[in-house]
Amino acid sequence: MEASSDAAIVARVLRGNAEAYRELVERYRDQYARYALHMLGNREDAEEALQDAFTRAYRSLARCEDPERFGAWLFRILVNRCRTAGTRRGRRARTFVTDDAALLGASEEHPEDQAAWREEIDRALQQLRSEQREAFLLKYVEELGYDEMSRMTGVGVSALKMRVMRACERLRDLLSEVHSA
Amino acid sequence: MRDDDIVNIDDIARELRRPAQVDRSFDERVMRHVLRLPRHARARLWSRLTAPRTITISPLGWGLAAASLMLFAALGVLHAKDDFHRAARPIAKALFPTSPKASPAQRVQFVLVAPDAKKVAVVGDFNGWDASHAAYQAQKRGGGVWSVTAPVPVGHHRYSFVVDDSLWVADPTAPRVVDTDYGLPNSAIVVEDNK
Repeated sequence: MEASSDAAIVARVLRGNAEAYRELVERYRDQYARYALHMLGNREDAEEALQDAFTRAYRSLARCEDPERFGAWLFRILVNRCRTAGTRRGRRARTFVTDDAALLGASEEHPEDQAAWREEIDRALQQLRSEQREAFLLKYVEELGYDEMSRMTGVGVSALKMRVMRACERLRDLLSEVHSA
Repeated sequence: MRDDDIVNIDDIARELRRPAQVDRSFDERVMRHVLRLPRHARARLWSRLTAPRTITISPLGWGLAAASLMLFAALGVLHAKDDFHRAARPIAKALFPTSPKASPAQRVQFVLVAPDAKKVAVVGDFNGWDASHAAYQAQKRGGGVWSVTAPVPVGHHRYSFVVDDSLWVADPTAPRVVDTDYGLPNSAIVVEDNK
């Protein structure tokens, strides 16, 4: 059976079938969990931000101007929830490793192991300033164009390009250190 | 993976594009929240609001509508006399200050004309965007006018009307602000401390 379009599901929800919203949750949760996890650095905060985004999107579904692009609208909400959660977490405590020695030490244990390499990438990603991490993830992982990133974040294209460039430089530096250790 | 000496950004991105999986209970948790919220019924409401129709208003209806408009106009004039700048403010504004020394909140009247609505509530950052909050349920005043006077803390706030638990309506008389979450307009209000 062919899957319903986002617009068709949104229409069912808006007609009062709240249970239909489950299809949208199943459709987008894994894809968007990836972004939240990379932005926030831990599963608990990521799931909380994602749940918050889904709940807010449902509550404001009548304001979704283009239901066919529900996914893009939801993603915009999630990007903002991650910003808010990141600010809150930043005030509370840094949960990721910020010590270069710890980062290097982590890499020495299993230098050729795929899982260890992935862990090094995650650690390096969390070393970036949040605005650089956001720009890098939107550009390289979510593969958005700069114009779309600008519409989504409210940040100018030039500033976004600069953030992505700085993020790439920093990632190369951090991971080169790990690699050469 | 990596080469011996070069860290390739595309390799990093490819690694980061691997899908993430959420906890198995995630869907249920989201749906539990969702099913506790008011159900949508926009399609029915929207068709009622937009369908062409002939409106017949009795002389009594005209009288009530005119009286309501005159009342709100009179209140606006009285308030503007105290502070000229407030004359340009939306109809939802601080009208009857309670004792400001005792409380940082002011009584604010919110008004919406929605002749076909069965229920109107005010939601905003001051009540957690909760459309079921008892203090912010508008009453039908006649002539399709709904209003509620409720406490709002001193400061800048965003708000909206929720019609029949589903349709979000910005205050047509108030300045609009872009909602950072949804990219759509809310209404803005400034509540001052009338010391």
